[in-house]
Amino acid sequence: MLFLWLVLPLAAKSASFSEVIDEVQPRMVKIYGAGGISGLEAYQSGFIISSEGHVLTVWSYVLDTDYITVTLDDGRKFQAEFVGHDPRIEIALLKIDATDLPYFNLDEAVELSSGDRVLAFSNLYGVATGSEPASVLHGSVSAATDLAARRGAFDTTYRGPVYVLDAMTNNPGAAGGVLTNRRGQLAGVLGKELRNSMNNTWLNYAIPIGELAQSVDDIRAGKLIPRTEDDSRRPSLDPWALDLLGVTLVPNVLDKTPPFVDRIRPESPAEQAGLRVDDLILFINDGIASSCRVLTDELKFIDREEEIRLLVQRDKELVEIQIRSVD
Amino acid sequence: MTNLNKTLMNRATTSAIVLLATLLPAILLAEQDLEELQEQAVKSAVSKVAKSVVRIETFGGLEKVGRMLVGTGPTTGLAVSEDGFILSSAFNFIQQPSSILITLPSGKRAAAEIVARDSSRMLVLLKVNSDEKLVVPESIARGTMTVGQLTIAVGRTFDQNQPNISVGILSATNRIWGKAIQSDAKISPSNYGGPLVDIHGRVLGILVPMSPQGKGEVAGAEWYDSGIGFAVPLEDINRHLDKMMAGEDLFAGIMGISLKGTDIYSDEALVAAVPAKSPAAEAGIKPGDKVIEVDGAAIVRQAQLKHALGGKYAGDTVQVVVLRGEERLEKSIELTDKLIPYEHPFLGVLPMRDADVKKGIVVRFVYPGSPAQASGIETGDHLISLDANEIVDIVGMQEMLATHEPGAQVQLKLLRNGEKIDVELDLSKLPVEIPEQLPPAYGSKSEKADVETVGVVEIKIPEEQNSCIVYIPDNYRAERAHGLLVWIHEPGGFDQEKVVSRWKKYCEEFGLILLSPQSADPKRWRSTEVEFIRKTIDDVLANYNVDRSRVVVHGHQAGGSMAYLAAFGHRELVRGVAVVDAALPRRMQPPSNDPIQRLAIYSASASKSKLAEVIKAGNDRLGSLKFPVTTKNLGFDPRYLNENEIKELVRWIDTLDRI
Repeated sequence: MLFLWLVLPLAAKSASFSEVIDEVQPRMVKIYGAGGISGLEAYQSGFIISSEGHVLTVWSYVLDTDYITVTLDDGRKFQAEFVGHDPRIEIALLKIDATDLPYFNLDEAVELSSGDRVLAFSNLYGVATGSEPASVLHGSVSAATDLAARRGAFDTTYRGPVYVLDAMTNNPGAAGGVLTNRRGQLAGVLGKELRNSMNNTWLNYAIPIGELAQSVDDIRAGKLIPRTEDDSRRPSLDPWALDLLGVTLVPNVLDKTPPFVDRIRPESPAEQAGLRVDDLILFINDGIASSCRVLTDELKFIDREEEIRLLVQRDKELVEIQIRSVD
Repeated sequence: MTNLNKTLMNRATTSAIVLLATLLPAILLAEQDLEELQEQAVKSAVSKVAKSVVRIETFGGLEKVGRMLVGTGPTTGLAVSEDGFILSSAFNFIQQPSSILITLPSGKRAAAEIVARDSSRMLVLLKVNSDEKLVVPESIARGTMTVGQLTIAVGRTFDQNQPNISVGILSATNRIWGKAIQSDAKISPSNYGGPLVDIHGRVLGILVPMSPQGKGEVAGAEWYDSGIGFAVPLEDINRHLDKMMAGEDLFAGIMGISLKGTDIYSDEALVAAVPAKSPAAEAGIKPGDKVIEVDGAAIVRQAQLKHALGGKYAGDTVQVVVLRGEERLEKSIELTDKLIPYEHPFLGVLPMRDADVKKGIVVRFVYPGSPAQASGIETGDHLISLDANEIVDIVGMQEMLATHEPGAQVQLKLLRNGEKIDVELDLSKLPVEIPEQLPPAYGSKSEKADVETVGVVEIKIPEEQNSCIVYIPDNYRAERAHGLLVWIHEPGGFDQEKVVSRWKKYCEEFGLILLSPQSADPKRWRSTEVEFIRKTIDDVLANYNVDRSRVVVHGHQAGGSMAYLAAFGHRELVRGVAVVDAALPRRMQPPSNDPIQRLAIYSASASKSKLAEVIKAGNDRLGSLKFPVTTKNLGFDPRYLNENEIKELVRWIDTLDRI
């Protein structure tokens, strides 16, 4: 019976998918601009978000020129006007002089969860030109997660939720493409190529529409004030330091020397909190302390008025330690 | 909605699908939104296995392994027992972390330790230090897996609260010599160590990087997310899980036979040699036996034998059927993890290469201090039989000797001036000294070539960008088997004129062909270019008459490391590796010595070389594996060989058909 169920859908799926794809394609555009030297592509993807010709795409060097060309699905070519961009979430809004265009309504975007079937539309590698439709990839949402989970893990200014995908969606030229659910409903924008430095793999992902709808409205209304990174991510002006804690770690000989406690100053906050020599510090306030260096860096982000929670390993036991703020 | 409610709802949906599929006619079914049903089924499968998929965090350890930057992010493991045992991929621990943490289903973290390793399938077993009961997943047997069935790769690296998944199908059920199954789901460091599950959330296997050729923890990782990914069937692991839980490491099982021939896909499994004290020797397998069955499966070609034994562990017992002549013999053999290194025996002679005899060997040179000299063998003697077996030619003689080891006593029959002489001698081991003077290997001199094209010829290998030249000596004659010297240039480019002028006169004098493949990037060799080097050697073998016992790969500095890679990677082709100021590539596991695939090592180095210590350690290691290692001291400062040393190296190559 499993066979029946797996083989039969093919016919049904191909019919419904092709209908869905026919619906989406007229809303996709190809964008051409600056680049073309030292291996940088001079093209990317985008999609129409209003009947009067607003095009949403990602902000990149491709748009860093006075001549941005937008090619519609039917092959018509337009010189695009640059309306504005939001550097924090790296999106940009273009406008072409056309009316009665089919478009995606950002207000009708859907949210996805892990396991959802998705379609990704983009002009990856610039394979489509003129009236050729965008390339469509099929896959599933691998995870709905947060890029900001760990500092330095991803080299991007965007910090926030993403849909990680199990299709090879994020290739050169794909940025600005569309992620839809299997019914063709708008769900996200394909991001730029990004490396996951936690395990040195390329990440395939899209940014949920919900994360950028407000910015798009603001750009359209001409009142965008680029938002800066949230304050919690800034180093503290009056931070903690190992010395203030009264802790000396083992000599930092390697890049990844694990943060073992070498010495504790008598009557220091660390001693009063119960930290001991030879404890291995694993976590500091939910942030992983994978090495002496990471731990020292992490302390710079914690204000002296805040308390510190440490998770340490003592032999085989895990011990939680709270260090109170110093006045 | 709570997670529990969600799970319950998903379960209900699955039952609904099953009902639909069984009860409703196909036409009705097609009208359903089947994509949606499949999507729901995938989610339900993931939620079923999710509690068994744990997140692993590691602390400390190496930053780099080889040239690969080690990730610092979380990895995945799969619970295999309620009382705290967790399986994962060895890839996740290559940095040798000083501490390992597991996040338990309750969200609590607990310390874990590596209990045992499986170096055949590159897995590790962890034990977590906690009283919390783990959730053991349901698994399915190998026999019920079908290529094409839906599979989901599950990891827990992006988010603690939610596993990350990738959907695909089962691509093959019997891969990497039987050790793995294959899926086109995206398998990468994001889910290595996690399970590959079916549509019901039952575990097929543990996701690992693997490669049919490569060995070690990182082999195959370069294929991440490519649509070619592997998992080790849980059924195979379960069979040995008790051992691992008891702290026992698992190793690949070895039987201890060498096979005749070089093409595993066409040659039959004819035993060429059986090292003494190996499991095969203990069971009574003999050279000349043909393996025709292993554990009930017929063996026609060598590759099938490799398949049948590839997944076995040391300690496993296999039932082997061999043919000895017409006789069918059944043997029960317990595999081992390590053979006592085989050492080649040595008679102490070099053979003439153009002897005017139909069968047998004419002695060209007798090694001073060798068993041959001790028993009075002389230059010009015609060796006709060994232990009452007729000697046919040089290769046949080497194969006959390969069934012996140093110290063994043999009976030799020879002809001297028409007189038959019987000699008894005790074999010694292959020498590492290079004779000072050698008489010519040919009775007659070759003055002129008998082919039109001599000198430098370019070789172009289809689909490879690399360039390559071969130098054919001016006096090349097709009826003479020539030695082949493969020069692997050092990084910094290839100077054709310099290389050809260095070797030209020796090519003519000693009957050598010089082959010089070049790296695609003049500044560096990539380890994958070993395959290009192999193709150039194949090209020369196909077009010229080459003496297979004198194929030598030679390199200086990084070219030398490349020479090691080429020699160890292609034992069937290479008989000698000669390096100058070059160490064994790090993380490279030298292969074991083989009775049939002989390999001699020449290693020259200077005491002030940055690599001096590593070179010494490598030479010692190869020596302990019983390879004949000839070492050459170049004085204080690192340099390439001078003219005298080159002459000596050429003499070393000229002795590789020694018996």
